[in-house]
Amino acid sequence: MSAQLAPQPAPTQVPEGTDLIEWYYEKGFSDGLPVVPPTPEKLAAMLAALGGEPQKVECRVPPRWGVLTREVLAVNLVMAGCKPAYAPVVRAAMLALTETAFNLNGVQATTHMCSPLLVVNGPIAKTIGMNGGCNAFGSGNRANATIGRAIRLVLLNVGGGWPGDLDKSTLGNPTKYTYAVCENDASPFPPYHVEKGFAAGDSTLFVMAAEAPHSVTNHVANDPQGILDSICSAMSTFAHNNAVSGGHCAVVLGPEHAATIAKHGWKRNDIKSYLWMYSGNKFRELAFEHRYGKVYNRSLPVWYRRDLDSHIPAVPSAENIHLFVIGGEAGRFSAFIPGWGHMTSPVLREIGGGGPKDAGPRCVDGTCYL
Amino acid sequence: MPQTYDPRGVVRADARALARRVGTLEGLRVGILDNTKWNANKLLRAVRDQLQSEHQLAAVNYYRKESFSRFADPALIDRIRAQNDVVFTAIGD
Amino acid sequence: MHDGFSLESLGVPTAVIVTSTFVHEAKVQRAALGMEGLAPVVIEHPLSSLSEEEIRGRAAQALAQVVRVWRGTHADPPTPQ
Repeated sequence: MSAQLAPQPAPTQVPEGTDLIEWYYEKGFSDGLPVVPPTPEKLAAMLAALGGEPQKVECRVPPRWGVLTREVLAVNLVMAGCKPAYAPVVRAAMLALTETAFNLNGVQATTHMCSPLLVVNGPIAKTIGMNGGCNAFGSGNRANATIGRAIRLVLLNVGGGWPGDLDKSTLGNPTKYTYAVCENDASPFPPYHVEKGFAAGDSTLFVMAAEAPHSVTNHVANDPQGILDSICSAMSTFAHNNAVSGGHCAVVLGPEHAATIAKHGWKRNDIKSYLWMYSGNKFRELAFEHRYGKVYNRSLPVWYRRDLDSHIPAVPSAENIHLFVIGGEAGRFSAFIPGWGHMTSPVLREIGGGGPKDAGPRCVDGTCYL
Repeated sequence: MPQTYDPRGVVRADARALARRVGTLEGLRVGILDNTKWNANKLLRAVRDQLQSEHQLAAVNYYRKESFSRFADPALIDRIRAQNDVVFTAIGD
Repeated sequence: MHDGFSLESLGVPTAVIVTSTFVHEAKVQRAALGMEGLAPVVIEHPLSSLSEEEIRGRAAQALAQVVRVWRGTHADPPTPQ
């Protein structure tokens, strides 16, 4: 696939004085916000950051299966407002999203509101100025904002995932504008990618089809159990998609919560295990008491008991909980981020490397199945 | 003169022909592929029942996808190919 | 559509049943795969919330189309507006 080249339509000349921002709007190339009109100079800089070879095919983007050449990627990167330094991150994200395990086709088309969440680890986050601290999931940071936006523009323009057309999401959600962060490197725990077998000096990205973050407040507890019980509460509703569809989710610890938990000597695995053990629902809730007919639910693992009072975990395993430390120093808040379900698997891969690290027997098809 | 750029990329696929069609359905092996979306199985069974009442089929084979959202496992596709002359599948909704 | 494409490519005539809201997507998918001749079988949307009797009605809608797909006489369905 990487040896293929694909032609690209030549740029169009427009009359002097044309309002270029309006032109891109009228053509239907915008996510709803004004785009930056590409110029030959901006495109050249972006292409150089991608390694040249404008017609080199990086991947094809479902559900339209548009061919993403470096040239086309450069156009979307400029439109999003990215700096050239961000280009390798966005490219790595598109490669991760088009891994078979992620099932981008399904994520693009679903009626669920999920959007790809991107979490960057390693030195590149600081180098390009990403925000993993105060307001990390919010606005105000160019790298976070435009990296996430570039991904969305590619999913729209190249992938054809336009709302009401091939994107059938009933409600959508604001993270479909942008959803890119990095971990806070002042975390008391090893970073996520180190937990997963990378070296601290490697730069990686993690993608997961995700709902928007659900805030978890706890300004009372001064021990791990109290804080984690609040997060468990957020995980124990049968409203989010994991409850009925299995799959993976993410948990974000704010730094104050992380500091308290670390002070008591708890490690990443302790946190994930506690969360998994003490969250979930009863089967009767997922079955609606069989009011509408007998419910089995094939989306959940066969090994779950289906008695009315059987405990149903929020996700099938503690390893399906992806734990990050993100956020500002002040505020006793964390967040639960549900996923889409078993229909998609998150992907973790190196940025700029040859591909995902072989972390041992859990890697399938060269992709780390987490 | 200002230039504008197309952010969409091309869609490019080599044209692929369909399989050869059949004439009669009598004596054929019919495969049914259930993609496990809600009510697909009920729909497929109803079609199957009607089909069997109208034609003398050599066999009717039922298969289920592991996940409604992903493409069927290639091994499953190959098994279906080997065991059937025609197939119907549901549901894209 | 992808599974239908795979089976047709391997020589097995395959009728792919979709609901009316899915026709547009089905056509986009087959274009991306290069199999423009893969005409889907269309039943009225929805399917997931129907009663048993309504499902039987949908099955009746589908059956004649399925047989036509196998015989090569099934016309490409229009995309509902």
